[in-house]
Amino acid sequence: MSFGFLLKYYKFFLSGTANTLMLSALTVVFGLVGGVVLSIMRTLHFKPAQKLAGAYIAFIRGTPLLVQLYIVYYGLKDIPMFAAGVVAMSINSSAYIAEIIRAGISAVDKGQLEATKSLGMTSAMAYTKVILPQAFKNILPALGNEFVILIKESAIVSVIGLHDLMYNVDTIRGITYKPFEPLLVAAAIYFVLTAVLSKGVESIERRLQVSD
Amino acid sequence: MIKLKNIHKKFGDLHVLKGIDEEITKGEVVAIIGPSGSGKSTLLRCINYLETPTEGEIYFENEVVEEKASALNAYREQVGMVFQQFNLFPHKTVMENITMAPVLLNKYSQKEAEDVGVELLNRIGLLDKKDEYPNKLSGGQKQRVAIARALAMNPKAMLFDEPTSALDPEMVGEVLDLMKSIAHKTTMVVVTHEMGFAKEVADRVLFMDDGVVVEEGIPSQLFSNPQHPRTIDFLSKVL
Repeated sequence: MSFGFLLKYYKFFLSGTANTLMLSALTVVFGLVGGVVLSIMRTLHFKPAQKLAGAYIAFIRGTPLLVQLYIVYYGLKDIPMFAAGVVAMSINSSAYIAEIIRAGISAVDKGQLEATKSLGMTSAMAYTKVILPQAFKNILPALGNEFVILIKESAIVSVIGLHDLMYNVDTIRGITYKPFEPLLVAAAIYFVLTAVLSKGVESIERRLQVSD
Repeated sequence: MIKLKNIHKKFGDLHVLKGIDEEITKGEVVAIIGPSGSGKSTLLRCINYLETPTEGEIYFENEVVEEKASALNAYREQVGMVFQQFNLFPHKTVMENITMAPVLLNKYSQKEAEDVGVELLNRIGLLDKKDEYPNKLSGGQKQRVAIARALAMNPKAMLFDEPTSALDPEMVGEVLDLMKSIAHKTTMVVVTHEMGFAKEVADRVLFMDDGVVVEEGIPSQLFSNPQHPRTIDFLSKVL
């Protein structure tokens, strides 16, 4: 085993990692926004909105990300590759995040909502001051986990030719005729990214735990 | 002050309240007793619309309570509630639990609310706990804070839903003592299994069974000389 190729091709790893991070960061933002919108749709007293959100979540969770990625890339003609990656990943992630939010809210004891009502608080006050702050604590670990999954799953965008970490590693393997070593480097980079993220989430969780 | 007119409540096929007519006057302390499943907690929860009656009306100070959010919120500001499971806000300190609703509802400024909080905490003997989170308190302390939280809204009436049922026996006394201290200053409706409290503090006791008020009267009469066979049977088991 030798890692001499790193000297010559390290820039491929750097740019690939940068693209993977950019893709993941944008997906986190859009996935979160989408997840929140879906969650709100499901709480509306407007049946079509509820049904639409429910169907969307069921469909996205019931089909492979790879298929969704191809549908977005080939379905939306002329869509830039990077945009296709972000759109497909965000569509996918928003459905999972909506589920995480729903579970987090329903895990808050129903006595909490009753207490706010009994004091004359409006539902808007109840949700912003009492329910969501507590739900956030339930949601955070699962959300952190979803972001870790997202970084790893993002490797799939290499199949449409987006120059993420995985794609660039494949390129290096082809150029150097070293099928194995570049993969180890890729694994190490992915691991560092997810480990740092996990630690960050853990430290936020700890800070939120003062009242437990 | 609070008038219940023909209150019915059904949960699906289950007919929990079968026509309750009662009037609670200002300053009165009414205890509701009865076996489990008799509908007493449901009745109490109907009074402030935590459960919506299937049929019937509730009048507060001679005006019918309308079933729309703004009217209900305004009504609930004046009718405090204390729960069996306390339902304190776990992510807020003791002081924040007490000041949150009055400040949000513009009843007091933050400063005024904290003054009220200090006064209430002093009264319940927990001023030293004002910056603690609820999980650091004993059950009895939690329930006293929950009572203070309701009192901070300066309600005209207070509803108590089995306030001592979730407490360890040695903590029941401190909560009942606090309730005694506010009785008659505030109108109170108390669903309770504490017959001693009902006897000593209540002006009137309602005995409920199977969704109806079977018998009611002043405590001395109801406890020592019950008339209805079901009341006699119940009291023979609990006294």
